[in-house]
Order: sequence, then C-alpha cells, then structure tokens
Amino acid sequence: MNDQERLADIRRRMLDEKLELLVGLHDGAHFIEKPNPVMVLSGFKSLGAAAALLEPDGAMTLVVTPHWDAERAAQRCPDARVVGVDDLVEGVLGEIGQRAAAGTALATAGMRFLPYDIASHLTVALPGARSADKLMFDAARTKTADEIANAREATRIAERGYEHLIEIARPDMSEDELAVELKWFMKTLGAEDNFLLLCAGPHNRAVQPSNGRKLQVGDIILAEITPSYQGQLAQICRTVVIGKPPEELKRKYELVVRAMDEGIKAAVPGVVMANVCRAINTVLEAEGYGEYCYPPHIRRRGHGLGFGSIRPGDVALDNTTMLEPDMVFMIHPNQYLPETGYLLCGEPVLLTERGAEPLTQQKAALATIAR
Amino acid sequence: MLTSHPTLLIGPSDWDADVMPKEEFVRRIDALWRAFPDAPCAIVYGNPAHHAELAYLTNLVPKLEAVIALLTRSGQHEIHLGGGPNMLGAAKPLTFIEDLKPLRGGQAIGRRALEAKAGMPGALLIIGDGYMPTALHQAIDEAIGEQALNATAQVWALMRRSSLHEVDAMRESCFALNGAMTAIADAKRSGLGVTEAILAGEQEANRRGAQDVRTLFSLDGGRTLQPFSTPLDARIDPLQVYVAARRFNYWSEGFLLISERRPPVAAKAKEALRQALATIKPGTRTADIVELISAATKPYRPHPVTERAFMSRLGLALEEPPHTNPGATFESGEIYSVKVGITNGTDEHAIVSAMVRIRENGTDMLWTA
Repeated sequence: MNDQERLADIRRRMLDEKLELLVGLHDGAHFIEKPNPVMVLSGFKSLGAAAALLEPDGAMTLVVTPHWDAERAAQRCPDARVVGVDDLVEGVLGEIGQRAAAGTALATAGMRFLPYDIASHLTVALPGARSADKLMFDAARTKTADEIANAREATRIAERGYEHLIEIARPDMSEDELAVELKWFMKTLGAEDNFLLLCAGPHNRAVQPSNGRKLQVGDIILAEITPSYQGQLAQICRTVVIGKPPEELKRKYELVVRAMDEGIKAAVPGVVMANVCRAINTVLEAEGYGEYCYPPHIRRRGHGLGFGSIRPGDVALDNTTMLEPDMVFMIHPNQYLPETGYLLCGEPVLLTERGAEPLTQQKAALATIAR
Repeated sequence: MLTSHPTLLIGPSDWDADVMPKEEFVRRIDALWRAFPDAPCAIVYGNPAHHAELAYLTNLVPKLEAVIALLTRSGQHEIHLGGGPNMLGAAKPLTFIEDLKPLRGGQAIGRRALEAKAGMPGALLIIGDGYMPTALHQAIDEAIGEQALNATAQVWALMRRSSLHEVDAMRESCFALNGAMTAIADAKRSGLGVTEAILAGEQEANRRGAQDVRTLFSLDGGRTLQPFSTPLDARIDPLQVYVAARRFNYWSEGFLLISERRPPVAAKAKEALRQALATIKPGTRTADIVELISAATKPYRPHPVTERAFMSRLGLALEEPPHTNPGATFESGEIYSVKVGITNGTDEHAIVSAMVRIRENGTDMLWTA
C-alpha cells in the first residue's frame, strides 16, 4: 500500500458514511501514544497545531501553525492547498465554518486528543460533527511501504544507538548524561525525534524517564530506545548490567526472551492481538509469575508505533484487533520479576503472510558492561 | 518561538536547591494566595509540552506524562503524576514537593481538591487548564460541582518580573545558547555541512548542561526555516539558524545569520537591533520599538518568521501566547527576546536577535547575535 492507496481507502469510507468533509486534527505535541490524523492524511509533521481537511474527491487543505511554516508544508504536500495561520481554531473555522453552519456532513478525527482550549471551541463551532477516529485509523491499521521502510531505518538507528550505549555507559555517569548523548548520537544518524526511556538501578520497578541519578556498578540499565525516522517510530527494549551479572539474572532474562519468542511466534495473520499477549503470559505463568502478568506490574506486552497511526494498538488481552500483513508493532514482555526487578526485552515486528518478522538484526540478549 | 516539540523530554531537570531554593517557590505560592485571598486550593496542570505554570510553582517539568499539582493554603501540597505508581521514583528529584501520588483521573483530583477546600468559602483555583485533555477537564468540573476560578493569567502576571535566582538561571541558559551558536558558526567555517553544524551546536549546548535544545535552520539563505528531519551534507552560505536552549527550566533563544561574506541585509538587521536595544528601558512602549525597527530596516520588509513577534517574553516557556507576547511597555525585571527579521522577498533575508533583561535604566545583555 502507498499513501495514495490509503487516501483512496479513506475516501471510500467517507462515501460509505456519506461524509462530505473529513477534518483531521492534531495539536503539534507529538507523543508516542497519541495518533496523528494530520500525518495519516498528509504525511506532514507540523510544528504547531494543524488540521487536514479532506474532500471526497481527494482535494485536501492543510491548515498549519505557525503561519510561517506554510511553505514547508506546501513542499511536503505538493497536492494540498496550504493555509498558514497562528490560531488553529480560527484557521479551521475560516475554511469550513460556513459549510458546517450550512449543514455539510462532516466528521473530525483526533478531537479527543486535543487540549481543552482547542477542542472546546471546535466542539461548539462544529456541533454536527461526527467522530471519524474509527474510519481514519481503520484505514491506517497497516503501514504504507514508505512507513515500513522508515520503520526499518528507525530500527537500524535504534540498534546503533544501543551499541553506542554499551560503548559509553560507565559508573558515575548520570542517567541524564547517558540519555542526552544517546539522543544526540541517534540524531546524527537521522532520528529527528526519540522516545528514549532510560533508567538504572540494582532493582528497577519499571522503566522511567532518566534523571540525575549516577550509574553504579551492579546497576541494571533499562533502555527503551525509540528513534523516529521521517516521522515513523521504531523501538528496541534492552537490558544492560554494569559489572558481572548474577546467574539468576541471566536465567530470568532468558525466561523473558523465551516469552518474547513465544509472542513473536503467536503473531500471525488471522489471529487476534490478544493471542500474542496470552502467549507471552503463558510462558511466565508457567514459571510461577502469574501475579506479575497484570497491573501494576504490567499493562501491555507491546504497542503500535506512530507518529501517524498507532494501530494495531496494544499487545493486550483485551485487544481483539485481527492481525494482518503490513502491520508494524512492538512485542515486549518487559516484565517485573521479584528476584531481579524490571527487565526490558522487546523487538519491533512487521507482520507478513508468514508471521512476525523482527526488524532488528540482533535479538535482545542480556548485555554486560565490564567495569 | 515555536519549534518541533520532542516526544519525550530528555535532559537534566532535577530540582537544584542551590539554583532555585525552596523559599523561592514558597514566595511564589504565597503571592498566588495573596492574589486570591479566599482561594483554599489550586489545581495546577502541566504536560511535557505546556507546563510553565506548573514549573513556576513546583519546579516540576513533566518529562513523559501529565502532572497535576494540588496546592493548598495549608502548605500540604501534592503532586499527582500520570503513568502509574511506578513513575513516582523518577519524578521525585524534579520537585521540592515530597508528597507524590499517581494521577487517578479527574474525578479523584476534583474530590481531593474538595477535601482540601474543607468547607472554606472561596472558589477553587485552576491553572493551566487550557492544555488539559477535554475528558480530564470535564471530570474535574463534574467532581467539584462548581466553576473553578481560572488563575492562569494571574500566575503569568506573577511570572513577568524575574527574581535574582531566575536571572541567574537565565544567564546559565544563555551560556548554553552561546555555546551552541559559537559551535555552529565554528563548524560551518570549518566546512561542515548544515546538519553537522547544527548538531555540533546542539552537542555543545548539551555539554553546557542544557536540559533541552531545539534548532531551526534555513536551506535557502534565510527565506524559510525548518527543523531537522534528516542529515544533509549541503554547505549553505549564508546559514540562518535559530537555537533555543533550556537550563534549570529557563529558556533562552537566538537567531544568527552566519556567512563568510558580509551581506548588507545582515548589517541592516544588526544595526536595527542595536538601535532597538539602545532605546529599550523601563516604560518604553513595545509598539515604539516595533516602529523603530520598521523604520531602521527600510527598504526591507519584515521577515514572515518574526513579523508578528518582534519581541517575546521568555522564561519558563518558549512559546505560550498570549502570555509570552510582549506587554504594552517594557518593565523592569522582565526578560525579552528581541528579534529583527527582514527580507527583500527574493534573495536577501536575515534574522538576528538578542536576549535582554530590563533593568532600572536600560537593559542587561544576556545574549546577542
């Protein structure tokens, strides 16, 4: 599938739902768990709040903030009419306010992710608007060829970042210093953004954002390395020990890798996502860790990868999404175990007809930094 | 200025009592209560993209998930963090407030605020609510069953005048900014490509302790600006750059045109900036400075990037209109980014800027192009 085919699918769905206008909205705060309808429709990663207005005939208007970013948007989206404004609400209503008042059948996507000061004004001004979240993200449940290629490149960058981590991490370096250096290094490789969660301790309760804590011998470093390449995220989840790892830690890490392997095996077209989660849990439950397979210890065993669409969603027991080829998502057991603390282990996968293909060259293995 | 917002804030943000003592925050919160003598409690919202008010009152800059601070007149302040109980540990070093709890939704916050109100007659305050997700806002409204008094603008009024601690933090921020600009210029002169030069600047800002650094650059001689999207080897001259650096939660920003030649347009912009800075003092009308810049830069016209923002107030936020917009006059204690951007519309463009603190008889230069 390419971008044009996805747009054609969205337009077909608009016709099915008798929609005369689709409005994709985003506030410009790009977050790993927040889908971006403007990127799905236009491929444009905005600096500020933005909207993409799609007509059934394929005509698109892009409303971007700040106003001076319009030219960049026009270069990125040569087929769209671009309007640069400094207030998204005014800009959108300037484009469609009269049509909305005249009863045009319109729907919005992304409204529930908007901040109150934008959403409340648009909700009042567009009282008849329906939600098109399902329409939009159903059409973007699989990745385009470009997105898949970008996910592969983002994965390559993540693996290089991980190698760099092993090269430079040392006692007395703060988590912040390490995270900042890794983010910068991956940017030199082309990562324009990075959801890099990194923390360390002898017994981690979870992976968390870095802070000023200094690394020490005996620490277990947890790293969720998540670069974005051309707006497409990919992630690897890795665990590194400073010093000699205890035998028990090695055994437990092998356990979570085995659980991940079972999850990857279970991810095949035609099954629901919940099965992937169940396959991971089954391995851990068999070893007596059933109580640690649920909150507060674990919420999910993976997730979709934005910034556009975050479908197929979480690798969780309540996700009934049917898996299909060209879906891209994370499979990560990322398990808390009482003997070792939290352990990170995860790969980005591409669903193919044959099953889940990890995008990584090297599967997660417990790494050590000899100091 | 608005730049590309990162998906996760990565960088040193721990509260440093030597830089910003607890007494500073106590004074700020006391000022809030003085502004609202009947208010029993304040609900303060912040997320990684918008958190200036939260940072002002608690020092906490949310790196990953949204945060709500519940400030009470009794001083029993609470921080409620998104992301579950496992996120509390990482957030503890970010604030002086010791009572950290998981954020359990708007209803729970509303109920807790009502408990803190404890029958006092005044209205609850809400701050930074415009950036809340709608569902969270509605849940809080439902739980408290009354209209909270929006105190966001009053907090920004308190934030206008910088304390000595804040000025020191701004100086550190400008030190990081200056390092970045110097490194970019050096990298360009040594023949590095545009993104290598930009990344050299970001790295130097990091070395100088910046908790965040954001850049924009031009590939067309300054006509348009763009964020980093992929490595580019192109050597660009003139190279127009924008850098924002953050240190101890305080932002500084700068525009610089770097060129082997001496483009007349850059000289014109710099001279206008010099005249503007020489004129600014407490009580100067900001409109007069805009007029001065327009007159001094003729026949050029304003650059689209700065035409609606010749100056902006800077501190805990880089871009939070209307709060970062200039006031009617410059006032002592304020910190401004003053920008001169001009273009002939075809092939001559330049944006230069300075960071200044307004003091009794003029300005202190914190950074200049």
